[in-house]
Amino acid sequence: MKRSHVFAALAAMALFAFAQETSRPAVETYGSIADSILATKAAEKGIVKTILDGHKHAAEGAMRRGDHEAVAANMALFANEGDNAVGGIRKRLLEGGHHHNADGEAKGIYEPGYVVVTVEAKKQCLAAAMAYGKATTDAERKKAFEEFEAVAAKLLAG
Amino acid sequence: MRRALLALAIGGGCGGQEAPPPPSPVPPLFHFTEETVPTVVWCGRKEKPHLLESGGSGLALFDYDGDSDLDLYVVNGWRLDGDKVVEKGRNALWRNRGDGTFEDVTDSAGVGDDGWGCGVAVGDVDGDGDPDLFVTNFGRDVLYVNRGDGTFARAPDPPGIDGWSAGAVFLDADGDGDEDLFVGAYIDCTLDEVLHAKPTLDWHGAKVMLGPFGLTGKRNAYFENAGGGRFVEATGKAGLTDVGAYFSFGVMALDLDGDLDLDLYVANDSNPNYLYRNEGKGRFKEVGLWSGAALDAGGAAQAGMGVGAGDVDGDGDPDLLVTNFEKDATTLYRNDGRCLFADVSEASGVKAPTYAPLSWGTALEDFDLDGDLDIFIANGHIYPQADALPDAGTSYAQANLLLANRGDGRFTDASRDAGPGLSVVRSSRGVAAGDLDNDGDIDLVVSNVDATPTILVNGTVRRGRWLLVDAPGARKVTVEAGGRRWTRHEVRGGSFCSASDPRFHFGLGKVDAIDRVTVTWPDGSEQAIRDAAPDRIVRVARNP
Repeated sequence: MKRSHVFAALAAMALFAFAQETSRPAVETYGSIADSILATKAAEKGIVKTILDGHKHAAEGAMRRGDHEAVAANMALFANEGDNAVGGIRKRLLEGGHHHNADGEAKGIYEPGYVVVTVEAKKQCLAAAMAYGKATTDAERKKAFEEFEAVAAKLLAG
Repeated sequence: MRRALLALAIGGGCGGQEAPPPPSPVPPLFHFTEETVPTVVWCGRKEKPHLLESGGSGLALFDYDGDSDLDLYVVNGWRLDGDKVVEKGRNALWRNRGDGTFEDVTDSAGVGDDGWGCGVAVGDVDGDGDPDLFVTNFGRDVLYVNRGDGTFARAPDPPGIDGWSAGAVFLDADGDGDEDLFVGAYIDCTLDEVLHAKPTLDWHGAKVMLGPFGLTGKRNAYFENAGGGRFVEATGKAGLTDVGAYFSFGVMALDLDGDLDLDLYVANDSNPNYLYRNEGKGRFKEVGLWSGAALDAGGAAQAGMGVGAGDVDGDGDPDLLVTNFEKDATTLYRNDGRCLFADVSEASGVKAPTYAPLSWGTALEDFDLDGDLDIFIANGHIYPQADALPDAGTSYAQANLLLANRGDGRFTDASRDAGPGLSVVRSSRGVAAGDLDNDGDIDLVVSNVDATPTILVNGTVRRGRWLLVDAPGARKVTVEAGGRRWTRHEVRGGSFCSASDPRFHFGLGKVDAIDRVTVTWPDGSEQAIRDAAPDRIVRVARNP
């Protein structure tokens, strides 16, 4: 055991030796950490929404330019809660045991690690992206994008 | 003493010791007999406490000595006991004598690497017309350059990944006439971690190996051929950065969007697959997600292991097949053109028979010569503990699958009555397909974990005629006969860490003659062969 660990153990023993309750400083420190964890979770949801908003805007911009491939790509990236780099971060978080929506995952509402996009919404957005990519007329594209927009708006408002 | 000989009863149906098959109301669609290659392929300990011990290895079928028949390269791993390495399995090269026998020429050819082997890629790195070998290892990868005299020189400073690299493929990505190299990587781990691993994951009440989640992914890499035997790492420059550090296994290069340059497809375990579309001049763009080839029909990432491709629906473009983990069926992606794909696993009949097993290498070939592509899939679990767990509902050794194409891109499981070769039950991994005996039908070689590889000799009753086009460097070949048209595409790499017969094989169904054969080269030029006859091997050299 390292010397610092020995000191910490002795200090903890001293703190608890006479007390009948958890030490106040420990409770306060843990409380602060809890605040940070919860704030971090909210921040995580915030950044994911920013990512999603970015892809939605990118899709809209690409549509104005007539870049149909970029529209479909950004719709799919929205569905996937970001590109593969974001997927890598999500993988790292899962490997570290972090599940933003652990309860929702258990119920099959969210894929592991997903923060905002539900399984159902992902399916709908991907289907719309595929339909957009395969569309050959403006009317087909408009229909596919409207389907995507409806799902995206709900998610971003939530 | 002469090295071991492997006698192959070519097309002879040497199943004399097998019990006769039970009566069947319809004649069996396929018939394969079994032979073995006497090279035991090792992969760690019996208990498999580390994920590295699950992967097994691949095989290559290629003509190393230029005698017009396929030779076999078997990649080998290491055998462990406790925390000790007890045997470093050597890779082996088996030369096809052309008379139905193979001989071990590993030592004389100088290709017996004893690293912990995973995969193999075949390509002509020095442009001298003979095939060279690249071996992926857990550790330093190896490049063997073919001298053209039956021997290979080991490159002193090979490209590759130091770690657990898996599938690899040579392709001329930048169109400069030489072959570049893409290497897929799986997990970042050390030998010390492997040797001291303990099973820690709960699975049906038993402890099994951890992974891939809980382990760190290793990034894929791409190497540009700079000439003179020199390769330069150019992953980022080519747009192939593995940003997610996903767990990559099977890799394959082929033209998926019809622009005649080679795109890259990478099967990722438990993560979206990559589809890198070649934008020309060595630049790639990852388009997997929106193209529909990264996820399954439900939008979920699967546990990709092996990859295959071929025109299963006869519409002229290559469709994609990805094998996956157990209870996560093999996925067939129909190519709808313009690099757009649709998961048709369920409608095509691929999903149901492939749902239960854990699948690896694959081959899309016309095994009965009836004019459409069938599917072979090698299976085997990764947890040996499965055999002691009735609740798991599975076993470590599993039967392989043969799915018959009904002629319209829909498949029927035809494994059951497909001869003794399909009755082999092992924990299989890599698969290489090719016409080993040049008799016009496609045979298979399957790598098995901690066992000898299996050669499945095709003795299927022929439902048509055939053509084998040997056109090195061609991007695709189209055959017209009897009012039908078939296209076969150049597919490099694929399966699971393996390389198959590079020739273009056609089952033609019942035709009397061939009207036209058209060979398309990477620059778009076409070469027509008008005097080709069925049941022949046609060699095509590019017109000057």
